Amino acid sequence: MKFLNNYSNRELNIWAELALNILVSLYFISKIYPLLINDQFNSEPILPVIFTTIIFSIVYSIIVFGVINIFTKQEEKDERDYLYELNSYKISYYISQGGILGIICLILFNVLYQENVGLLTPPKIAMIFLIIAVLSSTGKSLIQLFNYRKSI
Amino acid sequence: MKEQRIKNQIRRLRFEADEMTQAELAEKARVTRQTIIALEAQKYSPSLELAFRIAKVFNVPLEEAFQFD
Repeated sequence: MKFLNNYSNRELNIWAELALNILVSLYFISKIYPLLINDQFNSEPILPVIFTTIIFSIVYSIIVFGVINIFTKQEEKDERDYLYELNSYKISYYISQGGILGIICLILFNVLYQENVGLLTPPKIAMIFLIIAVLSSTGKSLIQLFNYRKSI
Repeated sequence: MKEQRIKNQIRRLRFEADEMTQAELAEKARVTRQTIIALEAQKYSPSLELAFRIAKVFNVPLEEAFQFD
C-alpha cells in the first residue's frame, strides 16, 4: 500500500472512477455490440448484461472506494480541487457537444445515404450516446488527473 | 508548462516558523497538503483569499509571502 502515499485521496478516487468507467463500458459495449450488429437487440439477452454491469459496479465501488478511503485520509475540497474540476467539466462539455453534433450529422447522413451505410436504428443511436457519455466522463477524469500530476 | 508569475516564499516562511510542516500549514490555511506542495513548487497561483490566509498564518504582510514577477 506504499504507492498510495504518492497520491491524494481525491486522485485515487478519480483513478478508481476512471477504471470503473473503462471496465464497465468495455464489458457492456463488447456484449451489446454483437447484438446490435445481428439485430438481436431485445430484452432477453440485454437484461443479464445490464444486471451484471450494475452488480459489478456496486461491488467494485464498495471494495475499491472502501479500500481507498480506509488507507488514505479524506480531505475537504479546496479552491485548487474546484478549479481543476471546473477545467475538466469544460473539456467534458466540449466532448459532449462535439458528440451530439456528430450524432446529428450522422442521422442526417443516414437519411441521405441510407442504402450505402445501413439503417441507423434507435438502439444504435442509444449506443452512440453511451459511447459519447463514456468518452466525456473519461476525458473529464483524465484532465483532472493530468492537472493534479502537473502541479506536483 | 506555463510558468506562474506569482512567486511565493512559503518554503522559507515555513522553515522560519519553527519548521512548520506542510500538513500543519495546510490545516491552518484550510487547504489540502497537495495544494501547499503545488504552491511551494511554484506551479499553482493561489486565489487572493488563500494568499491572505497563508500570509496571516505566518503573521507577515501579503507582499512578503507573495511577489508578482
